[in-house]
Amino acid sequence: MSKLHLFLTLIPLLPFLCTSFSPENPSSRRVLVLFDDLALKSSHSLYFKSLQSRGFELDFKLSDDPKIGLQRYGQYLYDGLILFCPTTERFGGSIDLTAILDFVDSGHDLIVAADTNASDLIREISTECGVDFDEDPAALVTDHTKYAVSETDGDHTLLAGDDFIESNVILGSKKIEAPVLFQGIGHSLSPTNNLVLKVLSASPSAYSANPNSKLSNPPSLTGSAISLVSILQARNNARILISGSLSMFSNRFFRSGVRKAGSPTKYEKSGNEQFLTELSKWVFHERGHLKAVNVQHHKAGEANEPAMYRINDDLEYSVEIFEWSGRSWEPFVADDVQVQFYMMSPYVLKTLSTDKKGHYFTAFKVPDVYGVFQFKLEYQRLGYTSLSLSKQIPVRPYRHNEYERFIPAAYPYYGAAFSMMAGFFMFTAVHLFNK
Amino acid sequence: MAKSTSKDAQVLFHSLRSAYASTPTNLKIIDLYVGFSVFTALIQVVYMAIVGSFPFNSFLSGLLSCIGTAVLAVCLRIQVNKENKEFKDLAPERAFADFVLCNLVLHLVIMNFLG
Repeated sequence: MSKLHLFLTLIPLLPFLCTSFSPENPSSRRVLVLFDDLALKSSHSLYFKSLQSRGFELDFKLSDDPKIGLQRYGQYLYDGLILFCPTTERFGGSIDLTAILDFVDSGHDLIVAADTNASDLIREISTECGVDFDEDPAALVTDHTKYAVSETDGDHTLLAGDDFIESNVILGSKKIEAPVLFQGIGHSLSPTNNLVLKVLSASPSAYSANPNSKLSNPPSLTGSAISLVSILQARNNARILISGSLSMFSNRFFRSGVRKAGSPTKYEKSGNEQFLTELSKWVFHERGHLKAVNVQHHKAGEANEPAMYRINDDLEYSVEIFEWSGRSWEPFVADDVQVQFYMMSPYVLKTLSTDKKGHYFTAFKVPDVYGVFQFKLEYQRLGYTSLSLSKQIPVRPYRHNEYERFIPAAYPYYGAAFSMMAGFFMFTAVHLFNK
Repeated sequence: MAKSTSKDAQVLFHSLRSAYASTPTNLKIIDLYVGFSVFTALIQVVYMAIVGSFPFNSFLSGLLSCIGTAVLAVCLRIQVNKENKEFKDLAPERAFADFVLCNLVLHLVIMNFLG
């Protein structure tokens, strides 16, 4: 009976559970949070409160709960997934590696936190995203020059990281003053993967090794190649955050002060809260999500869009680009958006000028080549969703009556022919009336 | 020897001029007409050499009109010249009528080819 009730209540909800990020329906954004220990709900409450205050509905579940599932009857139940379960070997319910990968492939966002003794499942999820954790399960990232001074920890595995990626889109416009506390495992990024980025990298003196055992051979992960927190923006604009430390998100780290070894400055509050809150804004598409709409092109002086252009026509192209601010679409302002007039190679490449209200426009002359062209707008910038628009338009050569009627270069020949006719006429007159 | 050649050339030139003075006026008019058309043709060739042969059809049309009128005028002169024994039985009016007809055809073709 309850199952029937559940089914009946779900039916009106089905239209709202549409795919991926749909800002047309921002009323409730549902995120599934999976733990392997329910104590995390209270020990990480500050982070969850920051998400809930921005309008997210968090669904807290244990990772081996048999009733959890990402989708039901073909519709996804959640818009995002947070995995705070580094030691889980198997998920309960209908979630497994393939289900999580399908979730991301359909455009949804993912946050994964690993820690020491990360399970193979979590490692596999991360490898699918292009991030390779250190194979030694007991290894921690250690740094003997850039560690955070603390009373309890003596083996320098608590790091004070400040090697952030340079991007206002990803980390917000306000600079993160205090270093970020990190204690966990490090990962390296696959060099062939060009979609994954290091947000917080380790300093050049860091290395990844088990602090309790003696090092018999040099560690495999060293220096700045170690990434502590990474992001991935997939080609379908799904965003993934992978962190090597679960304690980074905890209330204890949020509230504690930081002092970097070798530096006298003591910060009252670590940069963790600011860093992770800004990153979560980026991951859940509250920043850096662009849409380009309303592509228009027409001949200069006309208003309607023709079906075909002629060579050497003057045309005008315009597009509107907006950025999602978390609540509404704001105009996107940039000075490096370019449009190409493309047929196998760009014949015309123009930078669009903007009126700062999201409207981008330019005007150019159709090249002296006929064929089928495309208006291509490719915009890929660090931290922003990629824009890839193209509109096909044919270009025809001159019709036979569109050429100039009298060619200026041939005026002497016209003159010669007509002067011959005039001369003939005068000659006949003279010849006839001459005795 | 060189002196005598230049003197011979001068004598030849003078004799040609005096012989030419005795030709009838109407033949002189035809000669003038031929000279005019050949001169126009030369101007067109020099212009084409400078500027290039871009509307080639216009160039050919203009050139051909000049050469065509020159040729037809020469034919008229041959047929109208009373000293020419080959055309003794041909009435000069007939020659003139042929000349006019051929010129009409020539100019029709030229106008079409001029572009």
